Amino acid sequence: MKRLFIMLGLVLLSGCSLRVLDPKTSTGQDQANLIYLSFGIMMVVLVVVFVLFALFVTKYRETESNQNVIPEDSAGDRRLEITWTVIPVILLTILAIPTVQITYDLASTDAESEETVHIDVVAEQFNWNFNYENGKATENEVIIPKGQEVVFHLESADVVHSFWIPQLSGKTDVIPGEELVQSFTPQETGTYQGKCAEFCGSLHAVMRFETKVVEQDEFEDWLDNE
Amino acid sequence: MSQSTSEALFKDKRLGFFLYLGVEATMFATLFATYIIYTPAPEGPAPESVYEARTVILASIFLLSSSGTLLVAESGLKDWTLWKIWTGIGITFLFGAIFMGLEVHEFYKYAHEGYTIGANNFLGSFYVLVGLHASHVLFGLCWMSLLMVQLKKNAIPRALFIEKHKIFNYYWHFVDVIWVLIIIIVYTPFLI
Amino acid sequence: MQLPLVGDIPSDVIAAWVLSAVMGVVLFIFVMKKRKWPLIWEYMTTTHHRKIGTMYILVSIIFFFRAGMDALFIRMQLAVPNNDFWVFQGDKYNEVFTTHGTMMIFFVAMPFLIGLMNVAVPLQIGANDLAFPYLNAVSFWLFLAGGLIFNMSFFMNAAPNAGWTAYTPLSTDGFTSGPNNNYYIFGLQVSGLGTIMTAINMIVTIMRLRAPGLKMTRMPLFSWSTLITSLLILVAFPVLTTALFLLTFDRYYGTSFFVDDPVYYQHLFWIFGHPEVYILILPAFGIFSDVISNFAKKRVFGYTSMVIAIAIIGLLGFMVWAHHMFTVGLGAMANTFFAITTMMIAVPTGIKVFNWLFTIRRGVMRVTTPMLFSLGFIPTFVMGGVTGVMLAVAAADYQYHDSYFVVAHFHYTMVGGTILGVFAGIYYWYPKMTGKLLDEKLGKWHFWLFVIGFHLTFLPQHFAGLNGMPRRVFTYTTEDNVFGFNVISTAGAFLMGISMLFVIWNIYKTHKKTDNVGPDPWKGRTLEWTVASPAPEHPFEPMPKVTSIDPYWYGKKDNRELEVAESPRPSPIAVKTAQPILLAGTLMVLSIGFVYHWIWMQVMAGAGALLFLIWRFFTDERIEAYRKEEER
Repeated sequence: MKRLFIMLGLVLLSGCSLRVLDPKTSTGQDQANLIYLSFGIMMVVLVVVFVLFALFVTKYRETESNQNVIPEDSAGDRRLEITWTVIPVILLTILAIPTVQITYDLASTDAESEETVHIDVVAEQFNWNFNYENGKATENEVIIPKGQEVVFHLESADVVHSFWIPQLSGKTDVIPGEELVQSFTPQETGTYQGKCAEFCGSLHAVMRFETKVVEQDEFEDWLDNE
Repeated sequence: MSQSTSEALFKDKRLGFFLYLGVEATMFATLFATYIIYTPAPEGPAPESVYEARTVILASIFLLSSSGTLLVAESGLKDWTLWKIWTGIGITFLFGAIFMGLEVHEFYKYAHEGYTIGANNFLGSFYVLVGLHASHVLFGLCWMSLLMVQLKKNAIPRALFIEKHKIFNYYWHFVDVIWVLIIIIVYTPFLI
Repeated sequence: MQLPLVGDIPSDVIAAWVLSAVMGVVLFIFVMKKRKWPLIWEYMTTTHHRKIGTMYILVSIIFFFRAGMDALFIRMQLAVPNNDFWVFQGDKYNEVFTTHGTMMIFFVAMPFLIGLMNVAVPLQIGANDLAFPYLNAVSFWLFLAGGLIFNMSFFMNAAPNAGWTAYTPLSTDGFTSGPNNNYYIFGLQVSGLGTIMTAINMIVTIMRLRAPGLKMTRMPLFSWSTLITSLLILVAFPVLTTALFLLTFDRYYGTSFFVDDPVYYQHLFWIFGHPEVYILILPAFGIFSDVISNFAKKRVFGYTSMVIAIAIIGLLGFMVWAHHMFTVGLGAMANTFFAITTMMIAVPTGIKVFNWLFTIRRGVMRVTTPMLFSLGFIPTFVMGGVTGVMLAVAAADYQYHDSYFVVAHFHYTMVGGTILGVFAGIYYWYPKMTGKLLDEKLGKWHFWLFVIGFHLTFLPQHFAGLNGMPRRVFTYTTEDNVFGFNVISTAGAFLMGISMLFVIWNIYKTHKKTDNVGPDPWKGRTLEWTVASPAPEHPFEPMPKVTSIDPYWYGKKDNRELEVAESPRPSPIAVKTAQPILLAGTLMVLSIGFVYHWIWMQVMAGAGALLFLIWRFFTDERIEAYRKEEER
């Protein structure tokens, strides 16, 4: 039992800094906010059900005294049924509006500025190749500047992969014969894990890359040199 | 009032068979969708250059009229006029067989001209869809010959023969309807 | 491991060979000693719904253990970071999770439910058998043949390895060229055919064989959910059949439908795949409705809205498939459309949850094992439901998608919904299958260990997903920070495994120690409790006449027997025949011919299958029945 508590403690500890909920871009922040909002609304539902459940299950048990009682039937109650149809509809509407809004927001890339960094990403079993506009290429490591919009052009050389940097943004699939785009503006320097999130064969688990967000001048130095 | 066994069981079977035809219809619908998505293909042979109107028209004439001749057999079932049943099934079988021959000829010709199933996705979806239909016709021909054997041997109760015949009729008309859709969706847009 | 003659074989496969051989010998000796051959032959040739249903459930239990072992291997490999458990890394691991998923969905959850439908539906509606008993036997043997084909792959060291979704182009011959995924295709095709036949059978039975007076509006909810589920199967399964058919052409005959357009495959797969999850959950809803009403001693609250809710869920189930594809770039319009339709499903589901709760309210609740499983279901399933709504939020799904969050979500619905429902159903209808009542005490042990193990396993996985753990990975690093979640998960999985041992113990003990019970051990409400346990062939002679919902209950309450209906419709015809099992065997041979590209075998088995149809044509059981009628 004691060990169980230690384990639960471990869960809570690592729960404080869950990558998806600790985003370093506004895109990631939008997504995290949606997660919090939906979680909040859903907790309301969950609590209502749990409370009713606990109440009814403890209260309406068969006991010595009532075991021969036949409870009165109720075929239903129009008012109650309308209540639990309408309230969920309202809750879902509250959730649906920002969902639609943010889904549309994320689909439109910002007006392209001169500064925007474009990177061609070619995924192949089981590597990530990054090609910069000036011809510089890296493998399983991508370096991007802080505070500037980065656009990844995703292409696959073989099967379907999915491009995911949990702390920066959600996934975009990488599909052979089709170019999808993901863009965001990193707001903090640091090293972030990147992963393939669509099952792609034997070594899918280790098809990873590192994302390094560095200061702008550092980025430019790096891009021009080496 | 109790139903007779044959009547009740026939109605069960009919409902079940209609549901089965619904399943078939869904499969064909998916294949039609596939064909529409992939045709015409961005590269490789184009439908206009593959299709040959003469065979299609001939095949259609035979298959569609075979639905009509089957009606003769159906009307024979009502009052058990044997000659009607025999003529109906016989001609339907003949027409179906001619249709099969034309289909084989069509596929053979296309493949001979280099339009094979792997050439592009248009031809792939064409062969899968029309081929599946053709195999339904072939299955129907086998079914019909079994019916004829049973009619000849007179080995099963009349009510059962009528039941089997009716179920077959539904099948054959269904296969015909699919062919009409094939004409409309697969061939016509590229032949006129 | 290097073996003489067969070459290099992984040690897990060899272990499976040895284990199966030993178990086979033990089983053989047991059957010989107890002289059970006549019984086995009886079941092999039966067309009786109760016996076929029992076989479905028996086979599902075996498959459940088999796929459960896969789950334990998965959890062992993931217990600690950078682990190297046995052989389960890389392709081997991919084979294990592919097998686990496919088995659990197609060869465990579905046949469990179909088995319960077989046992209970005819009895609930006063039918003497399913409408087409022969076809029912064919369905069962096709399911078993499909299951055997799929399982054979592992013994031939060629288990499918492209995931249960078999996404293209990974599953095409350009990337996985061995026999592995051929097994997947043919296993699913053969068993899928059986499922379609069952659906037709159920619909016709429910539409045409109800007892006089049992209107649709008086039908028990399990029968209702069976009807709607069957309709879903009729629309969903042919799409899967076609998708796999096209995939076969890609793998065998040089087309490239899904190589050129992988997204089209995903559409087809999920047009089948999403209704499929409702196919799995709706019958469970039906079971819970009947069980809860039975043990709360009250008629179900809001019967009409329950039926409407099932129907709406079924309908909406066809309009949400692309929520599995939010990240493939369908565009904001499609994504928001599918997000909203998905959220809408929460409304009818919520109605059902509250109706169950209010069935309990003001009742007198007896907490038996089936009831316990139903009670455990409510909070568990609601947790799975709310994460479902969270996943529907398209933009947020970019984060959840294909992560362990999704894994947690669908196990909460599929295990917390379907499997708990199946257990409830098995405990509840066990007397109708075997005549015996399972031990209550062991049943409760099973419940508590299973449910606690379940939450331990899957609750942490939400957090692992949010911390960036993708699904279908065989390893993770220490820096990933998901060790804590995973180790708890592994512990929970073993607890679930242990709970299943109580099922075996329970079955053993029950059959060893107890006598048959009477027709009505649970003080039931519906018609199945009026017939003997186990259900005999043609139980409704004479045929009862139904005048209300829950007719048996209200009859008991008013102290009256059910009226007898005059001149009911004729019953379906039972036969004793080995044709179905032979037909399924032939199709199995045909499939193996295809799996290994042996054309001679394809031709021979194909011709054999056609010969069976001819044989059937001339040995129709109706010949005799109709002749009798003619002579009369």
